Amino acid sequence: MRRARILVVVLYTALACAQSIPYQRPVDTAPQEKTIGGGYKLPAVEKPLPRDAWLQVLDVAMLAAAMGVSVWIVLRRRSRKWLVGLAIGSLAYFGFYREGCICPIGSIQNVAVALVDPKYSIPMVVTATFFLPLVVAVFFGRAFCGGVCALGAMQELVLLRPVEVPRRLDRALGLLRYVYLGLAILVAVRPALGRDFLICRFDPFVGFFRRTGAPHMLIIGGVFLVAGMFIGRPYCRYMCPYGGLLEWCTRLARRGVTITPDKELDCGLCAEACPYGAIEKMRAVRRNCLYCARCYAACPRDGELAHAKLVQLA
Amino acid sequence: MSQDLSRRDLLRDVVRGTVLAVMGGGALFLVRKANGQVVWQVDATRCVNSRLGELGVEACNLCTTQCVVALSAVRAVNDHAKCGRCNICPAYFNITSAVDEKGYPSEKLCPRDAITRKPIGKVDPEDPANNFYEYFIDEKKCDGCGKCVMQCKEPLGLGSIVLRVRYDKCVDCNRCAIARACPKDALVRVPMALGSR
Repeated sequence: MRRARILVVVLYTALACAQSIPYQRPVDTAPQEKTIGGGYKLPAVEKPLPRDAWLQVLDVAMLAAAMGVSVWIVLRRRSRKWLVGLAIGSLAYFGFYREGCICPIGSIQNVAVALVDPKYSIPMVVTATFFLPLVVAVFFGRAFCGGVCALGAMQELVLLRPVEVPRRLDRALGLLRYVYLGLAILVAVRPALGRDFLICRFDPFVGFFRRTGAPHMLIIGGVFLVAGMFIGRPYCRYMCPYGGLLEWCTRLARRGVTITPDKELDCGLCAEACPYGAIEKMRAVRRNCLYCARCYAACPRDGELAHAKLVQLA
Repeated sequence: MSQDLSRRDLLRDVVRGTVLAVMGGGALFLVRKANGQVVWQVDATRCVNSRLGELGVEACNLCTTQCVVALSAVRAVNDHAKCGRCNICPAYFNITSAVDEKGYPSEKLCPRDAITRKPIGKVDPEDPANNFYEYFIDEKKCDGCGKCVMQCKEPLGLGSIVLRVRYDKCVDCNRCAIARACPKDALVRVPMALGSR
């Protein structure tokens, strides 16, 4: 006997079963390396650590960089192809690699709670994620929506046959975003016990990004994707609470997508190409513009196809 | 006309400046009260699987079924320093199953066969009951059902196995789906330093 065994006879209900052995715990303290002998080393307890701090900072840097690239592609390069490339990249990184979390849309709630509840605080990464796209919007418009937001990119890529939404209906549905924004903030800033995070719970695509999710999430996502094949970005335009904030900020922007008057043909191809109703009377309505660059692609005198198209026209 | 335009621009610049100042102030406020990282963790003193006096209760399984992450971000972890290293481990064997010819229970407890056992130290092949055993839980297989945790605690075991959130898998939901479902409120959001203990 290696050690005095203390027999702890345990009355375990299930052990009444006739066939099983009456279980006794042989030890009352855990044997350590010395007792075990044979040069045994205690293995460390596995503790998988959260994502490194520098990787979290990298996420914010990627967000900033992607918005910079988005501004450059849309305002300078004026290229739809490049924009689609950026959207695919963002979808891959922010969507499927980072699994849709953290995102500025959801961060609205955390920021709201942190502003109201003195006991609740958020990491700096979340603060930066929330404010960065707004600051960009104040100067350049909704660069975040176009090729950076994973939810936007998802819908941008499935939009195959855009159907024009009647302007009045479009405006009325657009108000839903503010209802949703208000509701989400109200529910989030309630006292801790009744607190809920609606935007996260009803996020349409995070289930796809994680390749698993509650049935209601996947159904909502599926509906938005199918509707999104015909209606341009239904979530962005009618549900996204962050889109509402970006729209306000964009009203202050001096720069943004332009339909250049000096080159203009008044052909209206750009207005027809815009699935988001962001070109009114041959002028870009920046607060509705989602930085998709479709108007450039449709323009016979602009963008990368300008030369070829001009030749055709001649 | 041009004067009108420039006046509008000026107004817009002023509003933009104000908005930026407000956002900057808000960000500063949030950054100043920002703390370190917080993580979800299982409070072993509340979890029915590990807290004392809940013997014979069915393992609750909610950590497995509720988590939004595939397989669950919760897993069972064996703290080897506390492990009794028993020959017949109630968390490894289903001790209520029939005994085989070698004197061991014929069934294993883990439904996913995630626990492996090997003799350690000075092994005496003649007397397996007096050997020590290392029980290792495979992270890739464990889905956090808690059955082994329920069996390992006092008085059957020494309580070396507990449920822990694996931070590399946990996506840190604002409202943890397991926390919402847990009847004992055993999932708590704690500062990283406390959670890693």
